[in-house]
Amino acid sequence: MNIFFQQVLNGLTLGSVYSLVALGLTLVYGILHIPNFAHGAFFMVGAYISFYVAGDLGANFWVAMIVSAAAVAVMAMISERLIFHPLRNSPALHDMIAAIGLLLFLEAVVQAIWGADFHRLPAPYTTILRFADLTAPAQRVLIIGAAIVLMIGLQIFLRRTTTGSTIVATAQNREGAALVGISPLKVSLLTFAISGALAAVAATLFAPINLIYPAMGHLVILKAFVIIILGGMGSIPGAIVGGMVIGFAESFGAFYISNNYKDIIAFVLLVFILSLRPQGLFPSEVR
Amino acid sequence: MLQLDRVMLNYGSFRALDGISLNVRDGELVVMLGANGAGKSSMFLAISGLRKLSGGSIKLAGGEITGASPATIVSRGLVHCPEGRKLFAHMSVAKNLMLGGYVHRGDKAGLKERLEQIYDMFPILREKRDNNAGSLSGGQQQMVAIGRALMGRPKLLLLDEPSLGLAPLVVRQVLDTIKAINASGTTVLLAEQNAYAALQIADRGYVIESGRVVLEGSRQELLNNDTVRRAYIGG
Ligand SMILES: Nc1ncnc2c1ncn2[C@@H]1O[C@H](COP(=O)(O)OP(=O)(O)OP(=O)(O)O)[C@@H](O)[C@H]1O
Ligand SMILES: [Mg+2]
Repeated sequence: MNIFFQQVLNGLTLGSVYSLVALGLTLVYGILHIPNFAHGAFFMVGAYISFYVAGDLGANFWVAMIVSAAAVAVMAMISERLIFHPLRNSPALHDMIAAIGLLLFLEAVVQAIWGADFHRLPAPYTTILRFADLTAPAQRVLIIGAAIVLMIGLQIFLRRTTTGSTIVATAQNREGAALVGISPLKVSLLTFAISGALAAVAATLFAPINLIYPAMGHLVILKAFVIIILGGMGSIPGAIVGGMVIGFAESFGAFYISNNYKDIIAFVLLVFILSLRPQGLFPSEVR
Repeated sequence: MLQLDRVMLNYGSFRALDGISLNVRDGELVVMLGANGAGKSSMFLAISGLRKLSGGSIKLAGGEITGASPATIVSRGLVHCPEGRKLFAHMSVAKNLMLGGYVHRGDKAGLKERLEQIYDMFPILREKRDNNAGSLSGGQQQMVAIGRALMGRPKLLLLDEPSLGLAPLVVRQVLDTIKAINASGTTVLLAEQNAYAALQIADRGYVIESGRVVLEGSRQELLNNDTVRRAYIGG
């Protein structure tokens, strides 16, 4: 029983992190149609900033997370303004190349500052929680709880606030949104900011149970792409469900099949699901 | 109210608007006639700031709006109800309407009141306010589009082919509604292919061809004009 529960917990933990990363990716795709390969680098930079603020500056974990989220949000807005916005009317391929360029640039900067070594962010809570005969490390429960809070918060923001509605409106009909007076530039900046902040928070939550290194975003971003293709490009519920599907598949696959193959499972699942449902699990619009 | 002075618009090397000059006076209902591809929609998009002019100027109520952003233009009281409606298909009717009042978002009470007026004008929308706009019939979607535009409190309303794809009976209703909106004090500029029906409710009209004004006149003049009869009315 406890072993099975550990896999569920693992699946939820991984799924939470993947969902948060995929949410940012899908929002940017749904609104701007940019496949942001640099999103994995936002994730990685987020982890380094938290590592710096919590480690070198000795700040509290939560303070580090907030600083990191804010810093990466600003960085994402700057990349939109300086890189993606000027390419708005050029072919989609240019966005892709620019995103890869940004990814390489950010990795080079991080490597120049912190080197290529592995780092570790100490876990803020190291206790093991017990419920009857089940055990759960506090950090994992924290990841799951924080992810749920963020997802609900994002939903409320998008559905219930006027500012959030401008994002959804722009995703559903760009010209319609401009005609009612919504500024497309403000919406895209806001979308990039949210996307960057989500990546940084995901990275900060994940860092204590993982390593920090310049290429840490690669596998995560590949999986996030798998998730949003599965979930439907631009679909918010798709990103959440897709993240959980991949998280669970990895956790159970690692345990019941082989730990060596866990990173392949996501891609096998992609091929399998797309051959049955080429449109993905959810239709592709921000809803 | 609105003045266009030698407005030019290019799509790459293609000239969609080739020096359009016209004016719409306070309180008028003016119709733009023209065949497919004449440039009616391009002209509306240029007026509402969604396309950048290649030349010429546009004035709204005496003030320059050439090159202004769509948001600025909407808040100055010029609202464009576009061809194809451009609704937020997966949002409720109520939300579509509320977003129509986006530039007045500071005035929540005013928006609520305005929303009630729109529901009084289109009772079916009150009934369907929680349905997704995309799930409505064509005629109802057109009402949402007009309602959304009215939420922006236009002094001048641009309507681009509001009757497109609607059944003849519904076309009648939509045109009657437009007449009523005009009668209540909103200036209207209307593009229509349905020339005969549109001229019935219009004060004046312009005919455009290949991005140029080729004819202008009062309702009677246009209804009696041979070219108009042959090209747009049939007979
Ligand atoms: N984005 C665009 N890029 C290139 N050409 C365009 C674009 N939009 C319109 N055109 C061309 O400009 C011309 C005018 O088009 P416009 O849509 O303004 O005509 P219209 O009078 O509204 O026609 P309709 O009655 O079919 O709506 C057409 O020849 C059209 O093909
Ligand atoms: Mg048109």
